[in-house]
Amino acid sequence: MHIALEYAGTIGVGGLKDVALTVVSLILSIILGTLFALGRLYGPWPVRTLIYWYVEIIRGLPAILQLFIIYFGFTQWGINFSPLTAALIWLVAYGTGYAVEIFRSGIMEIPTGQREAAAALGLSSRTTMIRVVVPQAYAIMLPPLTSFVVLQLKNTTLLYLIGFADIMYEARLGVDATNHAAILYFMAALAYLILSLIIGRVGVRLERNVAAYR
Amino acid sequence: MSNDVVIRADRLSKRFGTLTVFEDVSIEVKKREVVAIIGPSGAGKSTFIRCINYLHTFNQGTLEILGHTIVGGHNHPSKDVLQDIRTRVGMVFQTFNLFPHLNVIENITLAPVEVKKVPRAQANARAMELLEMVGLPHKAEMYPKRLSGGEQQRVAICRALAMEPEVMLFDEPTSMLDPELVGEVLAAIRRLAKEGMTMVLVTHEMQFAKEVADTVVIMADHGVVEKGPAREVLESPRTERAQSFLHRVLNPEEVPDPLEQEVLPIGGRR
Repeated sequence: MHIALEYAGTIGVGGLKDVALTVVSLILSIILGTLFALGRLYGPWPVRTLIYWYVEIIRGLPAILQLFIIYFGFTQWGINFSPLTAALIWLVAYGTGYAVEIFRSGIMEIPTGQREAAAALGLSSRTTMIRVVVPQAYAIMLPPLTSFVVLQLKNTTLLYLIGFADIMYEARLGVDATNHAAILYFMAALAYLILSLIIGRVGVRLERNVAAYR
Repeated sequence: MSNDVVIRADRLSKRFGTLTVFEDVSIEVKKREVVAIIGPSGAGKSTFIRCINYLHTFNQGTLEILGHTIVGGHNHPSKDVLQDIRTRVGMVFQTFNLFPHLNVIENITLAPVEVKKVPRAQANARAMELLEMVGLPHKAEMYPKRLSGGEQQRVAICRALAMEPEVMLFDEPTSMLDPELVGEVLAAIRRLAKEGMTMVLVTHEMQFAKEVADTVVIMADHGVVEKGPAREVLESPRTERAQSFLHRVLNPEEVPDPLEQEVLPIGGRR
C-alpha cells in the first residue's frame, strides 16, 4: 500500500488545485452567465445575436478542441498562455456558455404575474430584475446549477492535456513512473467522487433553504 | 378634465392582431367614486382595467389619468409618466402575485423603500398598521406560501396601499378564492370604499357590486353594453344584452341545459 501513501499527497494537492480552479471559474461563470442571460433576453438585437452564437459555439464544439485552441492556437499570434491562465480562461468561457442557458430558462420560468405586480407598484425594470426576478430565478436554477458545478469539476480532468498539474495529471505521472495504474487511477476516482458528493450535499442544503418559500 | 375626474377613458380599443379584445370603451371615474365593471368572461374587462395603469397598451382612444394623457396606438408614455401613474394607482390581481421569496412585511415594504425612498423603519411601521387593518399582524414574518388565498389577497391589498395610492384597481380579486374566504377580502375592500378610496373593480360578485359601487359598467361582446348608477343598472337594466346577462347570473338554475335541447342517445346516433 506504500504506493497509495506515496501519492496521496500529490494527488491531494492536485485535488486542491482542481477545487480552487473550479470555485474561481464558477464564480466568474455565474456572474458572466447572469449578465449574458439578461443580454440574451432583453438586450438590443446585436447583443442577443452575439450571445446566441457564443452559446452555440461553446456547446457545439468539443471541449478539448476549445481548450487546445486557447492554449496552442493562440501561440500562432504570439500569445502564450501559461497552463493556469489557459485553464482558467477556458473554464470560464465554457462555464459561461452553459450558465447562460441555465439562467435564461430560470428567468423565463418566473410567471408574468410577478413582473406585472412589480410594474404595477412602480418598480423600475432594473429594480424588478434585481429584487424580484433574479432571486427567484436562482432558486429555480439550483438543481441544474448543482449538476453544472459537477460538470465543471469533471472538466478539470481535461486540463492535464495542457500540463496543468491537477488530480488527473498527478495520477497519470504516477502511473508512468510506477506502473500501478489500478491503484493510482482508483485514488483519482475516489478524489473526484468525494468532491462531487460534497457539491451534491451543498446543493441539497441550498435547495432546502430555498424550499422555505417555494 | 374637471378637477373631480381622476380617470377618463375615451373610446379605448384594444386588439391583438385581428382579434378585438374590446372596442370603444369609455368610462369616467370621479374622486371617491367606486366603479364596478361586470360582465361575462371574455368581454375584455381584465384587459381593460390593465390598460388603466398601462400594464397593457391599447390601440385607439385617449386615456386621461391623474393629469396625464395617453393616446392609444402612438408613442408610449415616458418612463417617468408611467412611474408617476403606477406609484399613484394601486392594483390588486386575481392571482395575488405576491413575491414568494419575500415574507409578508418585505412584500409590503419593497416598493415604498425602493421607489419612494421611505426609510425602512417607517415603511415597516406603516406595513404593520396596514396588516392590523386587515387582521394579519401575526403573519408579518411568514412567506406567502404559508398563507391561505384569502390571507394572501389581503396582504396584496396592503402591498398596494403601502404606496398610499390615490386610486385602487381590483382585477377580480375574489375569483380565485375558496367561497368561505371571499368574505374576508370583500370586507377589506368595503372598508376602503367607506374611507372614500377611488376604486375601479372588476368583479363577479353582483351583491357586493350593488352594495359598494356607485356606478356599474356592464361589458359584454367586447364593449360597454350599459352603465349607470349601480342600483339602477343592476335592478332595472335597459338594454336586452344587460338584461340577459344579469338574468343568467342571478338565476343560474334557470339557464337551460344545452343537453336537453337536443337530446342525443349515448353513442350519438338518433
